[in-house]
Amino acid sequence: MSEQGDQIECALDLMRRLPPQNTEENLSQLVDLVPALHEELLNAVDQPLRVAKCKNTGRDYLMSAFNRDGDSFRSPWSNEYDPPITDGLLPSSKTRKLEISANDAFDTYREMYYEGGVSSVYFWDNDQEPELANQIKTGFSGAILFKKVGDGGRKMKGAWDSIHVFKANERGRNAHYKLTSTVMLYTITSKPELGDMNLSGSMTRQFETDYQIDEPSAHIANIGRMVEDIELKMRNLLQEVYFGKTKDIVNDLRSIKSLVESQKQADIQKELLGKLMERKS
Amino acid sequence: MEDLRELSTEEKLKIVTNFLLNSPPGEINDVFNDVRVLMANDPAFQTGILDALREYNTEQYITVKLPGQENEVIVSKFGQIEDDLYLDPRSHQAFRFDHMHQTATEVEPHPPDESTELLRNAVDAAITDYVTDHFQNGVSSVYSTENGTLTITIVDNKYNSPNFWNGRWRSTWLVNPESGELKGNVKVNVHYYEDGNVQLDSNKDIVVSTSTTTENLSAAVAAYVRLIGKAENEYQTALNESYIELSENTFKSLRRSLPLTRQKVDWDKILNYKIGQELANK
Repeated sequence: MSEQGDQIECALDLMRRLPPQNTEENLSQLVDLVPALHEELLNAVDQPLRVAKCKNTGRDYLMSAFNRDGDSFRSPWSNEYDPPITDGLLPSSKTRKLEISANDAFDTYREMYYEGGVSSVYFWDNDQEPELANQIKTGFSGAILFKKVGDGGRKMKGAWDSIHVFKANERGRNAHYKLTSTVMLYTITSKPELGDMNLSGSMTRQFETDYQIDEPSAHIANIGRMVEDIELKMRNLLQEVYFGKTKDIVNDLRSIKSLVESQKQADIQKELLGKLMERKS
Repeated sequence: MEDLRELSTEEKLKIVTNFLLNSPPGEINDVFNDVRVLMANDPAFQTGILDALREYNTEQYITVKLPGQENEVIVSKFGQIEDDLYLDPRSHQAFRFDHMHQTATEVEPHPPDESTELLRNAVDAAITDYVTDHFQNGVSSVYSTENGTLTITIVDNKYNSPNFWNGRWRSTWLVNPESGELKGNVKVNVHYYEDGNVQLDSNKDIVVSTSTTTENLSAAVAAYVRLIGKAENEYQTALNESYIELSENTFKSLRRSLPLTRQKVDWDKILNYKIGQELANK
């Protein structure tokens, strides 16, 4: 393997181990350390989403690698870059039309599931990706983003960021979808009896499927169902890992109950059971 | 745009050191291998990284078995005699610790300070019982520290890399026998990394005190250990309660598992609704 290939692998391994509480800082230090990996790392490592206000519509949107060109970000509501640039990358008019309806649809979805927060959908045409010059170019790709920050009640702060990236390849009346979903969940609690507790991180899942497309707008319903299904799965997974698994590990490290006492009781039970079996036989 | 200037070796070592110090429990070797490849300057790395490893090992209460002995000993700054020479206060031995390979050599007798050893030894015995009673893999050391104080260190590690998780509990208690005050700090770190990276970073300072003096040595020792056990139980209970609250309140208020209608989204309807709205607006 080339030195750079080795390095990107090590950089990604490192990002899976360093505290997710400091993802942005870790990533920026990593880029300082190995500047050659800059672009590759920014594309491969999910960072917490930031909120911006669209200057034309006054609506909030999310800034990410998917609507960035240089130092400017494209608003999904106005299709314009801020700060303005003249040659910014834009989706084709056909894809932009789909992008507009997808933003509307996922905005409704956001209200139903998040009851607040911000959503943004960004689409781009597959033939806009230079590294795919030799592959199938039909179809489009996109990112569906949600961010919700908790109200910070009960001295507990929380934030949820969803990043769903898909690629849709059209094959006649069918489309093949490949989806990679990451949810970042941050929780910070500070209380006198607890001290400081920070339980944070991210989990990623992938999903692939084929759906029919009788008309272009079918894409949005297809992607919508996929995102809805995977978010439900990931919500259950996060619930299990964050509030089940890591809690069990804490209580494996230390036992509130006396281990000596528990052992004694287990021994007594075993003895009783043994006697019971003797009597039966 | 970004400044692509190549950092100096010192600046690179600073970054790499910070990464190493943030290694999750049980993953120092993985992080070490990663940063070594990323630094891409082995001679400078090998000499420069020792300070980082020394800091990591002593801060994280890394444990080691002395050659030919079964029990584990904590490596901490409280037991540092000089350079890489550390004390095992329980067995009255000094040993040299290799921070790169986490191994001990050159074990030698190291007589204790007789003026504090009676109390230290009694606390050590009581803490050992307490640790056995509450920590499955717990290791403890009790050191005589400055001005007649004692410092108790406890560590429990659970490593399960085949199932992608590791955890560490660390307690530190500074006992002042004269005032009866105990200043404690408890840290818990958990890393879960199957298809993700989730970490618990938890930390609390605790101060408790007793009026029992060392005139009645065994009563004082019993009071210390009772206070520590109570404080750590209370802390762990608060942590468990916080888990429940996070799950029941914070998490639920971020995203519902189903919409208010208790039904999944009707995507065809959403699209038609929007299109209908657009037509109505025209």
